[in-house]
Amino acid sequence: MNDSPKKNEAVRRLVLGFVACCVSLLLLDLIVHRHLSFAEGLLPVEGWFGFYAVYGFVSPYALIVIGSIPLRKLIMRSEEYYDG
Amino acid sequence: MGEVHPALILLAGGLLLFALPTGPRRVVSVLLPVFGFLNLLAIPEGAMWQITWGGYEMVALRVDKLSLLFGYSFHLAAFIGAIYALHLKDRLQIGTGLIYAGSGVGAVFAGDLIALFVFWELLAITSVFLVWARGGERALRSGMRYLAMQIASGLLLLIGAVCCYLKTGSLSFDHIGLGATYHYLLLFAFGIKCAFPLLHNWLIDAYPESTPAGTVFLSAFTTKTAVYALARGFAGEEVLIYIGAVMTIFPIFYAAIENDMRRVLSYSMINQIGFMTVGIGLGGALGINGAVSHAFNDVIFKGLLFMSMGAILFRTGSIKASELGGLYKSMPWTCACCIVGASSISAIPLFSGFISKSMVIQGAADSGAVVLWLVLLFASAGVLHHAGIKIPFFAFFSHDAKIRCREAPLNMRVAMTISAVLCVVIGSYPPLLYDLLPHPVDYVPYTTTHVVLQLQLVFFAVLAFVVLMLTGNYPPELPCVNLDVDWVYRRALPAAVRGVVRTGGPIVDGFFAGGKALVQKLIAAIREQHNTEGLFGRAWLSQSNVLIAIIFLAIYLIYFF
Amino acid sequence: MIDAHLPILLIVAPLVSAPLCVLLRQKTLVWAFAFVVCLASLGMASLLLVRVLQDGVISYALGGWIAPWGIEYRVDVVNAFVLLLVAIIAAALVVFALPSAADEIAAEQHYLFYAAYLLCFAGLMGIAITGDAFNVFVFLEISSLSSYALIALGRDRRALIASYQYLIMGTLGATFIVIGIGLMYMMTGTLNMADLSERLPAMFETRTAMVAFAFLSVGLAIKAAMFPLHAWLPNAYCYAPSVVTAFLAATATKVSIYAFLRFTFTVWGAEFVFERLNFDALLIPLSLVGIYAASLSAIYQTDVKRLLAYSSVAQIGYMMLGIGFVSVTGLTGGMVHLFNHAMMKAALFLAVGCVVLRVGSSKLADWKGMGRRMPITMAAFVLAGLSLIGVPLTVGFVSKWYLILAALEKGWWPIALLALLSSLLAVVYVWRVVEVAYFQRMDEPAPVKEAPWPMQVSMWVLTGATLYFGLQTDLTVRVAQRAAMGLLGVTP
Repeated sequence: MNDSPKKNEAVRRLVLGFVACCVSLLLLDLIVHRHLSFAEGLLPVEGWFGFYAVYGFVSPYALIVIGSIPLRKLIMRSEEYYDG
Repeated sequence: MGEVHPALILLAGGLLLFALPTGPRRVVSVLLPVFGFLNLLAIPEGAMWQITWGGYEMVALRVDKLSLLFGYSFHLAAFIGAIYALHLKDRLQIGTGLIYAGSGVGAVFAGDLIALFVFWELLAITSVFLVWARGGERALRSGMRYLAMQIASGLLLLIGAVCCYLKTGSLSFDHIGLGATYHYLLLFAFGIKCAFPLLHNWLIDAYPESTPAGTVFLSAFTTKTAVYALARGFAGEEVLIYIGAVMTIFPIFYAAIENDMRRVLSYSMINQIGFMTVGIGLGGALGINGAVSHAFNDVIFKGLLFMSMGAILFRTGSIKASELGGLYKSMPWTCACCIVGASSISAIPLFSGFISKSMVIQGAADSGAVVLWLVLLFASAGVLHHAGIKIPFFAFFSHDAKIRCREAPLNMRVAMTISAVLCVVIGSYPPLLYDLLPHPVDYVPYTTTHVVLQLQLVFFAVLAFVVLMLTGNYPPELPCVNLDVDWVYRRALPAAVRGVVRTGGPIVDGFFAGGKALVQKLIAAIREQHNTEGLFGRAWLSQSNVLIAIIFLAIYLIYFF
Repeated sequence: MIDAHLPILLIVAPLVSAPLCVLLRQKTLVWAFAFVVCLASLGMASLLLVRVLQDGVISYALGGWIAPWGIEYRVDVVNAFVLLLVAIIAAALVVFALPSAADEIAAEQHYLFYAAYLLCFAGLMGIAITGDAFNVFVFLEISSLSSYALIALGRDRRALIASYQYLIMGTLGATFIVIGIGLMYMMTGTLNMADLSERLPAMFETRTAMVAFAFLSVGLAIKAAMFPLHAWLPNAYCYAPSVVTAFLAATATKVSIYAFLRFTFTVWGAEFVFERLNFDALLIPLSLVGIYAASLSAIYQTDVKRLLAYSSVAQIGYMMLGIGFVSVTGLTGGMVHLFNHAMMKAALFLAVGCVVLRVGSSKLADWKGMGRRMPITMAAFVLAGLSLIGVPLTVGFVSKWYLILAALEKGWWPIALLALLSSLLAVVYVWRVVEVAYFQRMDEPAPVKEAPWPMQVSMWVLTGATLYFGLQTDLTVRVAQRAAMGLLGVTP
């Protein structure tokens, strides 16, 4: 998707930096004392290490892979579909 | 009656704009929302403008904190929209735009169902001109479909209001609740304008067909008026939670594969309204506060996103993801503002979406609804994908489409900047908005836990996007049309009708042919009897008229005996 | 002192002025004279309504002969309302007539036009004011004969044919009416309405009573152009001079409906008509079929006048529907719509008249780009068109509201829904004109001026009325409500 090697290098660095941010945010989970959203015992998963991170990653990934891509096969039509 | 009705300034001023030459029109168009806002500040709370209409006591102006919040929001939106439209020479857009804004203002200050209905219809009629302002067959047809849905909503509201009057003897617009049949009529009326699932298609259909400025106006008023009406009439109704949850989920599947950027934003709009609907359904101080504050913020950040996309459409003539990319070089300012808007809609801390959406999600947690909470969290991660990343990424970055254009006009940049600043200011200093909310707020958005967790959610959702892009699994941007509910009335129904006509036609034809032959014989017989030659047409007509009259008399006589 | 003679003055003034017009002959002079007469009538009609609202029913014995022997003019809220309506329209249209009639009617016939106009006006007022059944017939003939003449003045040769058709149907209707009245006279020996209403109940069991009512109601239905007896109307409206079309559309059918109301409710009584004969079970379906059939016909018309004519037939359906509910709300809706429709339809036909004056055609195909060529006229057309649809803030909405209210009051959901949905048909036919006028471009638009100011003034007065009475419903609804109560014999 990118044309020049120089640009590819820039993208690679950007991605690496971003992943580093993600990891450090994840590690913060160990330090920060977390308050639960729910009353005690309703959703214990919420307090587990990395719950938000995993949920944040999985849900859009799943959304695209098992949601939108199959949906597209079903409903995509040519741009002139309604014009004809 | 000492107070000037807030809607009046925008309505009358909007009409005035049609008569003004370009220069003064521009000045007045920006000043009108300012005057309206100042007038709003001077109005005390309570019921005013009691009017007698055909024997009913009506309250055309009811001011309380809930209506005031929407009133402020609408004036702000009108002000920003007017600046955004300053470059236009076309008086239709700015004129109808401000009248449309005035209708929205009127609707949120309406104290009874008839006044609400009047402004409700006015919203429909004025807004359709913004769609038509784009010109061309496509916009015309889309506008007609849009208008049909809006008028259907108005009719339901009218019947609901009449029934309400007959049942309760009152037309006042307060909490309605669900119970009697007519309550559901009203819910449907609001639901259409609120883009409930399966009733949502007018929004997806029409908003992206409007002009750059038109869509900015459209995005602010119609749906938010409906949110207001729901908050007023159906706060705490459980069914709204389910409806809202569906609204947060289904549009994001569509948004990910939609090619028209403004259509992506329209889908994300339904998703955002879903959050508001959930908040209203949850009820209580936190739910309602969350819903209406999110509506307030959505007017700003969704307007901002529509403005940035409008600027691209204005400069490049295209708004399709498959044709755009790399515009950050040509339109850096627009790009920056767009990113602020995207950050707000993604509820990143320090941006406005964060302080309002989290109230709704916390409200769900407080009520102990685990599934709902997971759904909302899923939807926030999803919205980030299409509105937060897809919009700026495919427009301004991604592969370079080699489009070189000028930066957006100054007035557009000013309008976008105002919105962007507001997004950050409200997001960083929540009391600014919290003090305006209908219920006292004891919710604190900025706790360490909340900030860290939200950042985790956001960053890992972005990570998912990065991974999908790098592995080539992200659905590519393709020029396409995606089927939605509108397929039912744009394709299936017409086809069904054609089918029926094709199969049923001969039968009906035969029936008519037989009938016709009979009638012709009858007429011929009468003509023979009366024997009037010449002047065929008139003699025939008059005779058959007379015949009808006599048959009619006979029917009456037989019926009476 | 003159106050006491108001009822008779209201009739005599236009009636006597008509022959005077023939004597005056000179065009401008005749117009000025007609204008003064119409204006004076308007003043008198307003005064009469105020008087009636204050003091109740006014009875005027013609020539001092006390009813039931002499002819009685009897004014209550119902007919004071109708009298005012006719007077407003007549006064507004006579202003319009000055340039419009000058353009559309041959110069040597001008004085005849004004004479016929005043005669027709007098006839319509007479029908509304009289309390004598036979007198209704007499005034009906006066108004009908003069309107045949008015229609025949149209410059299109087909106007003659249209007028002839109307004459046939009108005569038939009048014959039916006179048969009905004759039967009633035969049964009771009186022609005075109040007297009839006292004596008729004794005859309710007889077949003669039913036959009499059947003749009377069919006759009036023809005059009111109720579906399916409307066939004379589209041609008559289409080929008559514009001002005549507007006048007839706004008044003639309305007065016939008034007569129908009067005979049904005052003379025969709701109990006989609706309980014994179950007339409402016939009237409501007929009105609904009429609304839909005529609205659909309107959609397919290629001539704007004809389109509006079919719409008139549909609107008469709404009035009949209101009457068919036989409730205060329903009758209020019917009466209010009677008034409101007169305003909006007159405004619409006047807008058409303005275009006809400048472009010379009411064919839809010739209206391309009219939104740009005559923006002021088309704005009035659109506003009045919105009324026709029943958009809020216009009079159309007020009528619709009461009709829906009346239907739901009875718990008749489907009817309320059907009535509401039918307004979508109105959207379509109004839209057809708007689409051509605003969205279709003329290839070589010839420069066109707006119509002269007298036409603009009377068009905008009526258009303004459709908006004003949409907001300020005190006069119309309150008076209609009182009229409805009076007709049903309900005390407020």
